[in-house]
Amino acid sequence: MLEIAQRQPIRWLRRSGLLVLLVVLALLPLLAARGDGDGMVNNSTLFSLTQMLMLVTLASNWNFVSGLTGYIDFGHVAFFGLGAYATGILMSKAGWPFLPTLAVGALSAGAAAVLIGRATMHLKGPYFSIAMLGTFAALREIARVARPLTGGGPGLTLPPYLNRPLFYYLALGQAVLVVALYRWVRRTEFGLMMLGIREDEPGAEMRGVNTIFVKTSAFGLAALSSGIVGGMWAYQNTFIDPDIVFLDSRTIDMAIASVLGGLGTIIGPVIGAGLLYWLRDVVWASFLQWHLIVQGLLLIGIMLVLPNGIIGLLGDRSGLDPRRIWARRRKR
Amino acid sequence: MNRRPPCAANASPLLEGRGIGKSFGGLAALAGVDVAVYPGDVVGLIGPNGSGKTTLFNCLTRLDGLDAGRIHFKGVDITDHQPFQVARMGMSRTFQNIRVYRKLTVIENMLLSRQWRGARWPGLLRPSRPEVTERADDLLEFVTLVEQRVDLAGSLSWGQQRLLEIGMALMSDPDLILLDEATSGVNPLLVDAIRDRIMTLNTTHGKTIVLIEHNIELVADLCSRVVVLDHGEKLADGEVGAVLDDPAVSEAYFGRRGLNG
Ligand SMILES: Nc1ncnc2c1ncn2[C@@H]1O[C@H](COP(=O)(O)OP(=O)(O)OP(=O)(O)O)[C@@H](O)[C@H]1O
Ligand SMILES: [Mg+2]
Repeated sequence: MLEIAQRQPIRWLRRSGLLVLLVVLALLPLLAARGDGDGMVNNSTLFSLTQMLMLVTLASNWNFVSGLTGYIDFGHVAFFGLGAYATGILMSKAGWPFLPTLAVGALSAGAAAVLIGRATMHLKGPYFSIAMLGTFAALREIARVARPLTGGGPGLTLPPYLNRPLFYYLALGQAVLVVALYRWVRRTEFGLMMLGIREDEPGAEMRGVNTIFVKTSAFGLAALSSGIVGGMWAYQNTFIDPDIVFLDSRTIDMAIASVLGGLGTIIGPVIGAGLLYWLRDVVWASFLQWHLIVQGLLLIGIMLVLPNGIIGLLGDRSGLDPRRIWARRRKR
Repeated sequence: MNRRPPCAANASPLLEGRGIGKSFGGLAALAGVDVAVYPGDVVGLIGPNGSGKTTLFNCLTRLDGLDAGRIHFKGVDITDHQPFQVARMGMSRTFQNIRVYRKLTVIENMLLSRQWRGARWPGLLRPSRPEVTERADDLLEFVTLVEQRVDLAGSLSWGQQRLLEIGMALMSDPDLILLDEATSGVNPLLVDAIRDRIMTLNTTHGKTIVLIEHNIELVADLCSRVVVLDHGEKLADGEVGAVLDDPAVSEAYFGRRGLNG
């Protein structure tokens, strides 16, 4: 009891800290609007924050599958790509407005993940990872070849729309919603089943868990969200081609952010994505030529010191410590 | 011992396997084994190391695919079922090399083993219902793990993990429980606890139980019937006293040495 009482202020601090952070994030664009482009927060800061928020969402999606069910997906950018191409094709070729294309992108990415998952999620460990790497490479080639539809290698140009605050708010809104959704799912029976699959899949199956259903549903949900990010990214970038959309380093960023923050935790990928962006800015500014090497070394160093990510350092599993979730004892 | 009387032979079996065959490469782990388990039975499955006992459990729970034979459970042909479907029909088991979710808490292990039959999307998108949690707590009391409720399962002693597995196997309120060496590697005090629990399950709760066990004393104590496997073949099957006195059985099991030394 005492222990729980002592934790109360920590939880309160964390909650109010989160609230302050959200308010600041929500007000940032107003500062940018007043700063005429050269204040502390200008349009390019807003752009880079938007990219960071998109990575928060992508990393959370990746972690939802790979961190919670243990299926390490090396090709997750495939679903981002499907969303980007849905928006790109429908806006540039069919003249659709933006928002409905997001829905189409989300649904096609989600449906593709369920189908691909049915085929690849019997594969264990590295075999699944490689199969997803293959899936992503195949999709990139399809985008290159299906020229009449996708514009092929030269790509597609979308109607330009340079409203940075709008994209910022969309990315922020999605990130908040997705993290809240995953946090909630993690606490349900479905979330428990996902963890069971990660810990011992045949064991879970023999205890009545329909593992293929749980895995593919989780995969579909994550892919759906990545499809939305892809659509937003395509529109704000106003141009897509196979190489900038199906970019393998984007998957790697999702993985790094998750592992850096704390694989399998909910808040870990958020912290990891933020840290990765900050690290990149600092390193890039100070080691122009060597920034990739320095960044790589720094990441290796951090992982050696903090094998459980930043969350591990805090000695708490982001409010997700199962001891606390299930600690409510039955009243007698 | 106040053991239930074995069921009349003309009752229909709860579980029936016919001609079960399973090979690994060239090795026939099971070569056409017939088994029948009747409601209310406690059946001992014994045999030397490598005789195919665990493989038989794996086939019955549909973890391993069969090379030959059919399996019926509650009158339904489950040969082509998925393991989770068999579990939902009311067959649960424990494992020789313990399979608990080591990085989850004891209570989470229990909640995750509940009866999932009829649990559907989106009903799964809520925390465990109070009646499930309550059942888990009752069973933790039954397997004497109340104190360890929020410890990680991996931090329990080997014997406690065995008890946890028994608790998990009971969460789904199964009709048939398969126990694979539930007492091996367990300290003698806990062996007695496990023996007690198995007895209570059968006599008080009417569960049908099959247990793989190397401890012959325990088999003689608990079981009404014994099946003996040797090199993937059924060597004997019958009333416990008769089977244990059979010279062919003691020869297979203990080499030249007889059962009594
Ligand atoms: N997955 C597998 N791959 C290859 N061979 C296997 C496999 N599982 C079991 N075997 C082999 O099948 C035979 C039967 O093994 P099984 O585990 O069923 O024996 P057991 O009667 O349970 O023995 P023990 O008393 O040692 O647990 C053994 O020879 C074993 O080596
Ligand atoms: Mg065995």
